[in-house]
Amino acid sequence: MVELVPTLLRQELARLAEDDLRLDGRGRWDGREVDLEIDCLYNAEGSAKVVMGKTIVYAGVKFEIRTPWPDRPSQGSLMCGAELRPVAHRKYEPGPPSPQSIELGRVVDRGIRESGCIDMESLCIVPGEKVWGVMIDIHVLSDGGNVFDACGLAAIAALRTAVVPAERFDVGEDYTLKVNGTPIMASFTRVGGRYVFDPSEEEELGGDERIHITLGDEGHLHSLQKGLRGVFTPAEFAEIFEVAHQRCSELRKLVATQEGN
Amino acid sequence: MGGYGDVKLLRDDGLRLDGRKLDEMRPVTIEAGILPAADGSAMVTHGLNVAVAAVYGPMEAHPRKIQRQDRAVIDVRYNMAPFSTSDRIRPGFNRRSREISKVTAEALESVVLVERYPRSKIRVEIEILAAEAGTRCAGITAASVALADAGIPMRDLLVGVASGKVEDIVVLDLDKAEDNYGQADLPVGILPNTGEIAFLQMDGDLSPDEYNLAMEYNFKAAAEIHEIMVDALKRRYEGGEN
Repeated sequence: MVELVPTLLRQELARLAEDDLRLDGRGRWDGREVDLEIDCLYNAEGSAKVVMGKTIVYAGVKFEIRTPWPDRPSQGSLMCGAELRPVAHRKYEPGPPSPQSIELGRVVDRGIRESGCIDMESLCIVPGEKVWGVMIDIHVLSDGGNVFDACGLAAIAALRTAVVPAERFDVGEDYTLKVNGTPIMASFTRVGGRYVFDPSEEEELGGDERIHITLGDEGHLHSLQKGLRGVFTPAEFAEIFEVAHQRCSELRKLVATQEGN
Repeated sequence: MGGYGDVKLLRDDGLRLDGRKLDEMRPVTIEAGILPAADGSAMVTHGLNVAVAAVYGPMEAHPRKIQRQDRAVIDVRYNMAPFSTSDRIRPGFNRRSREISKVTAEALESVVLVERYPRSKIRVEIEILAAEAGTRCAGITAASVALADAGIPMRDLLVGVASGKVEDIVVLDLDKAEDNYGQADLPVGILPNTGEIAFLQMDGDLSPDEYNLAMEYNFKAAAEIHEIMVDALKRRYEGGEN
């Protein structure tokens, strides 16, 4: 579907921005309420569902046994993929993965991978012969804005519930996957000239470039991405970085609460 | 059908492994209007199956070659999530999902009043989040509730349901073990009010008598599921817009 240039929406968003307001009444750095459910899918070895406003995302973890890469004989692998399937919005067409889905999956993947929360050595079964391949698949069921944060949260929450299905593969007893940390993504979009946290569908439609920041438990950066057309200043980044810190620790607490900690 | 005759699927007391009677369905729950971005949507849980359907449209039909001058076309995509089965499924279409999508679309076109919307397209997206035998039926049920939720006129709701045969005995609603090791599977799409059938597939081995009994079970189950569908739609609209 061709998206009409939302001129009126842009004007309205710019007008609201003058008074530092948002279309849905939120403050500039307020996120929508986040509903997280973990371990909610039969057949997935780990799973999570995230609802943020009109955005609904599921993530499921599967394991497979594979032969290790020749240069890393004692390391398993981790892969995270996202699908913006046509179920999620009328704007998504069927077909091979779009550049947007690939970007989405890869940004989430980097945040989790680079945080080091999975020790690849721990995924080794027989060095040089058998290692675990961990796959996180993210399924966007409804795109109501900011699918990046929803996908990032669903992916790490699902991973943290994962149980390695060793019995089914005849390589020992099932055990809980060891995950050291909870990398969390925070996303910002320029709306009406200034950045806002957790953009809604309308804000994405009438906004400009976006920035995604993934932070680890210690507040270290693990993945950054700027998407779409637009530029920003270091001062603007410093401002959203502060907000990202706060929002990421809140979401990390939400994960811990759901896990019963 | 796997056809491993040595796997025991019925208990000595005549009940099935999960304790169900021969003509007993797994529990079904239905919720309408669960996807905010869609024009209509539904989630169906049937046993451990989870099927979600979204409807978009009616909208302009393109590419143009799919357009029909006298009616709408229904474009169905049945897709299993990579994590929906025991072994991960590679994302993307395969022969099985293409075939199911095709016959499901044709079944829905038999129920929706497609002549009301010439030259247009109605998109139906069926996503299976968890699979435990019977996903196409759960998908059909979800699709039909989603179409009703989208306000698209239909002659009746379409109910997906299946019966089959295990250890030479006809049973309603096969679960995973029964599907893997049973002798026949008869999934159908039933219009409960008119008593017609819009979807039919079968594989395995059934005698004419066994077919009749399986179909009798299917109609009985369709009536039960139909009530749950109607209830889900009522709940959706009694609650007002959300």
